[in-house]
Amino acid sequence: MNDTNISKNTILLIEDEENIRTFISTTLKNQGYKITSASNGKDGMHLAASLCPDIVLLDLGLPDLDGMDVIKQLRAWSAVPIIVISARTNEHEKAKALDCGADDYITKPFGTVELLARIRTSLRHGNQMKDLTSIQQKPYHCGNLTIDFDRHVVTLHDTIIHLTQIEYKLLTLLAKNSGKVLTYSFLMEKIWGPYVDSNNQILRVNMANIRRKIEENPATPEYVFTEIGVGYRMAEDEN
Amino acid sequence: MKQTKRTGSSLFSPQYMVRDILISLFLLAGATAISFGFFHVVPENSANIALIYISAVVLTARLTNGYLYGIVASLVSVVAINYLFTFPFFAVNFTLTGYPVTFIVTLLISISVSTLTTRIKEQADTLIEREKFLMEAEKEKMRANLLRSISHDLRSPLTGIIGNSTAYIDNAESLSDTEKLELVKHIREDSNWLLNMVENLLSVTRISANSMKIATSMESVEEVVSEAISRLRKRLPDAAIKVQVPEEFLMLPMDAMLIEQVIINLLENAIVHSKSTLPVELTVTADPRQASFHVKDYGIGISPDKLDSIFDGSCYDPDSSSDGHRGMGIGLSICKTIITAHNGEINAINHENGCEVIFTLPRNEETKA
Repeated sequence: MNDTNISKNTILLIEDEENIRTFISTTLKNQGYKITSASNGKDGMHLAASLCPDIVLLDLGLPDLDGMDVIKQLRAWSAVPIIVISARTNEHEKAKALDCGADDYITKPFGTVELLARIRTSLRHGNQMKDLTSIQQKPYHCGNLTIDFDRHVVTLHDTIIHLTQIEYKLLTLLAKNSGKVLTYSFLMEKIWGPYVDSNNQILRVNMANIRRKIEENPATPEYVFTEIGVGYRMAEDEN
Repeated sequence: MKQTKRTGSSLFSPQYMVRDILISLFLLAGATAISFGFFHVVPENSANIALIYISAVVLTARLTNGYLYGIVASLVSVVAINYLFTFPFFAVNFTLTGYPVTFIVTLLISISVSTLTTRIKEQADTLIEREKFLMEAEKEKMRANLLRSISHDLRSPLTGIIGNSTAYIDNAESLSDTEKLELVKHIREDSNWLLNMVENLLSVTRISANSMKIATSMESVEEVVSEAISRLRKRLPDAAIKVQVPEEFLMLPMDAMLIEQVIINLLENAIVHSKSTLPVELTVTADPRQASFHVKDYGIGISPDKLDSIFDGSCYDPDSSSDGHRGMGIGLSICKTIITAHNGEINAINHENGCEVIFTLPRNEETKA
């Protein structure tokens, strides 16, 4: 590897369709990433081991291996961020991939802007999922919303927003992982503990209350976005 | 005709034959057993024994396929009566006084009953067969119509994509950068349109083809609406939409993907076809029984003669192939299919400054029935 490449982030793309491979490679190369691609799961795993990429883009529909297995096997020895590329029709598959250890997903068909945003987010956060106790000094800031984690204060347009304990916990959890989608099961477990039943209505009611407090119009949110059937995603921290 | 023939021949498949032979044997054996019992108690009355056998023959004809088993059973019965229950016992003797009459009458009754029941059964079968055939034909017709309109709708953007890309490749050297950009832009537009079409078609596959049922779960209306709008914004970034949802937190039983598709179709239809730049309004209201979604535009409205038929896909007009309404007929009929599967209603009305489409969804599953 020569010196000019050291600063470049390496991306491994595992995708069987050539047209999509070409388009992603071209886009990412132009953005200054170093990209290597594999057309099947086995090659992908070998490359992941030998290259130690900074990010793996993984298509779930591979010809040789099940995408879920690839995620699990990679997770067995590597903490590299994995972004799953999935077809839109199956929302359970996305949630499952995230719960298996993928960091984020992007749905086909996607635009380059969306892809680049996901990659930037994953590069910034790395694989470490932050939970409520993880220390974050800098306040979250996006648009008119600020969350000061030290002082436990949420402000919108410089006015303090009053949240319940659970609402505050939910919002900080989302904010500390801003830009990433957090699944229903992850949120439920972190807020209500591991023994909560699988009905996530309580979560959605709390999210609805948060929306009414921080969003101007709950139907066109600016800060907390819904990924139906999967979970919630908070707008990326502007810091 | 072909179908009747097919079922006819299948009646004599080994599986059916074994079954029918077993039924016949069982019934005849049963009749013989009963007759023996009867004969033992009242030895003099062979007429009743004939009746027992006739019952067995009738049942055989009813429960087996075709004439064959009934007729064979009646012949066997006649011989059995003669052999077992008339003097001399355990010998066939047709010279008995009056016996030829018994013999012929029994045979006649058996044969006519067996042909009668067989015919009734055949007629019932034909009726079912015909009904099935008609339903098949109806389905086939609908499918053919849908396929025709889809193919028509898919062909124009595909022609655009192929044409533009060919033009680019063939004239790569002589085209200016602006012209090249123009061609690629057209390709992108057409592909986006195709994608929309495919998403619509895919969404229909979520509805079970036979029962028209869907898998619903309780979903938050504002979340579905917001996701629908953000998906639409991906394709139409400049779309002006005003949204209002109830202050009350509202959850409805639905397939979120499908309802999203309906909202997207209706909003896009309003934005693209109203020929107006005023914002489209999406308002959700709720009463204790149901929730109503209103999509209101301030454009040219819908011509009154089309108002009733825009959701049934029949406004698709094969002659107007050049107009800008491509595909919306399918989009709207898909909306209707989805809303009907949710036990809701969808209607379009003209208000003084444009058009409004309203669809309703029941609030709880019980109202479904």
